[in-house]
Amino acid sequence: MAEAARVNETDRIKVKPNISRGDRIFDIVNMTLIAVSVLICIFPFIHVLSISLSSSRPIMSGEVTLFPKEFTIEAYVKVFSDPSMIRSLGFTVILTAVFTLFCMAMTIAAAYPLSKSNLKGRGFFMVVIIITMFFSGGIIPEYILVRNLHLLDTMWALILPGLISPFYLIIMISFFKGIPDSLEEAAEIDGSSHFRTLLRIILPLSMPVIATLSLFYAVGRWNGFMDTLMYINSPELYPLQLKLYQLIQNNMATELMRNEVAGTANMMPESLKAASVIFATVPILIVYPWLQRYFVSGVMLGAVKG
Amino acid sequence: MNKGVGKMKLVSGKTWFKSWSGMMLATVLAGTTVLAGCSSSSSEAGATTADGKSVLKVEVFDRGNSPAGSTISDNYMTKLVNERFGEPNKIDVQYVPIPRSEELQKLNVLMASGGDVPDIVFTYDQGTFNRYAQQGGLTDLTDLLNQYGPNLKKFLGEDTLSYGQIEGKQFAIPGKRSVLGKYASYIRQDWLDALKMPVPQTTDELYNTLKAFKEKDPGKVGNGLIPFGMTIAPAQYEPLLWSFVQQPLTDEQKYTLTQKLGSSDYPTLLPGFKDGLKFMNKLYNEGLISRDFGLDEDKKQLWQDVQNGKVGFYTEDAGELYFTYNGTYKNLQANVKNAKLTPADVFTNNEGKHAKPEYASNGLYIMIPKSSSKAVEAIKYLDWMASGKNLFDMQNGVEGENYTLKNGVPVAKEDASTEAQNRLYNYGDMAIIANGKVAGTEEQNNDAYIMQVPEEYQADMRKSVEISNTDTIAPVNFNKPIEAEAKYGSALQDKYSQLIVKATMAPTAQFNATYDALLKDYMSSGGQAILDERTKVFQEGGASK
Amino acid sequence: MKTSTYLRRYWQLYFLLILPLAYFAIFKYGPMYGVQIAFKDFNFFQGINGSEWIGWDGFREVFQNQDFYRTLRNTLMLNILDLIVSFPAPLILAIMLYEVKALWFKKLSQTILYIPHFISWVIIGGIVYQVFGTQSGFINNLWVSMGFQPIPFLTDPNYWLITYLLTGVWQSAGWGTILYLAALTGINKELYEAAEVDGATRMRRIWHITLPGLRPTIITLLIINLGNMVTIGFERPYVIGNVAVQEYSDVLSTFVYRIGLESGQYTLATVVGLFQAVVGLIFVLGANFAAKKTTGEGIL
Repeated sequence: MAEAARVNETDRIKVKPNISRGDRIFDIVNMTLIAVSVLICIFPFIHVLSISLSSSRPIMSGEVTLFPKEFTIEAYVKVFSDPSMIRSLGFTVILTAVFTLFCMAMTIAAAYPLSKSNLKGRGFFMVVIIITMFFSGGIIPEYILVRNLHLLDTMWALILPGLISPFYLIIMISFFKGIPDSLEEAAEIDGSSHFRTLLRIILPLSMPVIATLSLFYAVGRWNGFMDTLMYINSPELYPLQLKLYQLIQNNMATELMRNEVAGTANMMPESLKAASVIFATVPILIVYPWLQRYFVSGVMLGAVKG
Repeated sequence: MNKGVGKMKLVSGKTWFKSWSGMMLATVLAGTTVLAGCSSSSSEAGATTADGKSVLKVEVFDRGNSPAGSTISDNYMTKLVNERFGEPNKIDVQYVPIPRSEELQKLNVLMASGGDVPDIVFTYDQGTFNRYAQQGGLTDLTDLLNQYGPNLKKFLGEDTLSYGQIEGKQFAIPGKRSVLGKYASYIRQDWLDALKMPVPQTTDELYNTLKAFKEKDPGKVGNGLIPFGMTIAPAQYEPLLWSFVQQPLTDEQKYTLTQKLGSSDYPTLLPGFKDGLKFMNKLYNEGLISRDFGLDEDKKQLWQDVQNGKVGFYTEDAGELYFTYNGTYKNLQANVKNAKLTPADVFTNNEGKHAKPEYASNGLYIMIPKSSSKAVEAIKYLDWMASGKNLFDMQNGVEGENYTLKNGVPVAKEDASTEAQNRLYNYGDMAIIANGKVAGTEEQNNDAYIMQVPEEYQADMRKSVEISNTDTIAPVNFNKPIEAEAKYGSALQDKYSQLIVKATMAPTAQFNATYDALLKDYMSSGGQAILDERTKVFQEGGASK
Repeated sequence: MKTSTYLRRYWQLYFLLILPLAYFAIFKYGPMYGVQIAFKDFNFFQGINGSEWIGWDGFREVFQNQDFYRTLRNTLMLNILDLIVSFPAPLILAIMLYEVKALWFKKLSQTILYIPHFISWVIIGGIVYQVFGTQSGFINNLWVSMGFQPIPFLTDPNYWLITYLLTGVWQSAGWGTILYLAALTGINKELYEAAEVDGATRMRRIWHITLPGLRPTIITLLIINLGNMVTIGFERPYVIGNVAVQEYSDVLSTFVYRIGLESGQYTLATVVGLFQAVVGLIFVLGANFAAKKTTGEGIL
């Protein structure tokens, strides 16, 4: 279906009649503005990249801005030759994938019934869910819960407590609501069960929002580490961001650490921190370009027509 | 159940739903109570291993810097402990990693959840120690220490031990800090030489020197010249401010007007503090100190400016700039040809002394939770660490591979193998009874400290340490915690920084008004409460030294 | 419809809801008993159930604290400014991207625009300093070399607000476009073609087709945003803020951090959390009600 949709999109561009002057000015202004934003947004990334490729002296003296100084790849050699980093990358990928899969299954299962405005009890369920957006028991009872469920120091401690984000659930519901009722009614008349309608009609039509929310869940898991600090003790279960956080945070001269004797805080070179940032960020960065294939226009239109 | 369903069928949709949702709510609440109920039962399992050894769980800071091939709970040091202490005593010492940066949060949750708390926990935070002790969560170690900790007691000494006592009871074993000096000043010798000026010896002379730096720009820095490098970290402003405190102080003044926020004494209410701020204000308005100093909390900008040769003078933790991990001095010499920083002692008080604060003689607060059944083993462990060569070996590694001895002082081998270096990557967090290297006498400790920096800087380092130990002002201590300090401490630290930054940056004419307004805010945010409580405790005779 | 017929027809929908509702019951409502800390003198070693009840004393203490009102005011101020400045930014950016015809350009810029979301605040803090600093900042270096007085972007409270807002837009606008772009895929392309044939200008087409197509998404996000008016992330104000602008940068989350973690007063921290939850819930329900009245759409 995605292929067909892409054809649709190119068609739209080709079909364009002769472009007017106003249109051209609009395009130029528009693209220039976007290009400027792009430059502003890529700057920090380039900056961190440059630091990761520079030697210590120019970094410490604040000379590195946009280009590496005294070029070296030593930091990357160190990162890639650290088996715990590689293992952590593997674990994070698996954790993120499993988490995203579970979250999406649960979110879809909840969103589909709740998108039916005639479902009895819908209002009550929604209030029950929305309350959890604001009220929480706090860190201590949550820790006790995870411990009593015997999840401490397992991957599931990082998955189960965050299965459904009410916010993403609401987005999913509002997308499902946007799907014309006529489609579902037609299916129902054909004798299709709700399960079947969901799988065969609703989900294929919702690929853009499924892709979006998968990305949101995946990025949230990839970047999150506060729960790992509480629930995980074994170094084998350290996600990348936790290692990264420790690298960056533990070397900062905070008030708490001022009492520690010089030399105890084992300072990491800045370039190693920067290389670790790149190492931990690039894998998740490439997920979006890959997901963009599901962001094609005309999917829903084609289905309605067909 | 069947009956219920049958009944449900009869009622209309809406009512059916209501009763159904009511049931669900009841289930949820019931589930909640069950879960809540579970929480109070704490497990005593895992007290012994299969081979009959008793298990001792010890906290260790995880800084995420374990070298390849080892983990924070399994490395050279943990093996050394289990071999030398564990085997003979039939104790299996296990290490529980706590992330360094989230240490308090995790410790709090562990304590509050009542299970999995290690038998030995520690923190640098005095407020946390006081809180745990006052809420009755710590084991009273007074007798245990006498019975099982003779070496430990001897090693720490009465002065250090007193920091762990609350109204006579030993609730924590404080680590011993071996180097007490805090600060020294550094000035660009090459600039002084160019101006044919001597190293300033007093505050007035310093002022003239800074003026000359600004006017004549001997280093040809131009626009970015900073005669006096300043930040909002204590190392930069404390030596200046404390030197303005009017000496001598009476005991009453010392105890009641000092405010202890976090782990340091603050001079906010002491006579002369305002004059110090006024001096800073003058320096700022004459363009003599860093314009953005209020932003520089982690000293990064200052270090950069020093390295790029823009800074003429600054104060710092003594010798910080010589350590390899910091690299300030080395980079300065690489960036600016012939640049030379000389350690100096410049700020003088009304008695003509170079007064400056020093550290309290304690480090970590080591605690044994009341829930632990291993208090005896825990004290034995700490006592083991204090006896024989154990502490020395934990701090220094293997002779010939990690260090060589020079007059009884260990000198780290610069060409030590990676394997050897990796042994010591977290010695500071494992050798918890000491803060800083312990070589023997005080002099030897200082020597061991000095020899940690590269050889070419050791002479300057020695001078820095001497300066940091000159005319020091010792912290004052009560025999029981001031509750208002625990409560308002962290809010007041922010107010204090605000006071310094705002008063310094105010236009000269508005200095008094700004100072008064901010001090009023400080006092009403808890400063007054601390003053009142300290006055009360002092009058009750609570001053311990 | 009779209940039995209703159930026979819709039981599958309730079946789907079982696991999600169980999740909320166990993981969200399960720990909810922790809320009672707000009414107890919390003692670490007595635990939540063992601590003593103190009624409303905790609330009294919080509501008497002058810092609470100051941080509440700042939280509201920063959130309202964000709503005005940072909320529309991703919408505008998404529409701009949608109008781009060159596919490669569109995809490349999308991918780059959302990078700042992945840079942690610690790193952003360092960069902000390098760009906006008074003495050595990039912008001021340029500005001063043109012969002007330096601008205190970080140390003057009013300029600091600008810095805070711009950094927020920069960090989140690109990421925020993703949701709008997903929503835009649902718009019927034939509408545009028809409008073009009618000779409608680009701006008119955006106004009459694109924006209405995004309306449900905008309303959903707006309602959620309003519900979060008294909550604020810890990191952004903390990292970009500094001592000199604390009268503006000190917010509820930093206040809670100070009293909760640094001073160990969990009771007071829970009180503030409860206050935020109640206000948030009222706001979100109110906003939902208003949205339903005016546009017929809402999240409930």
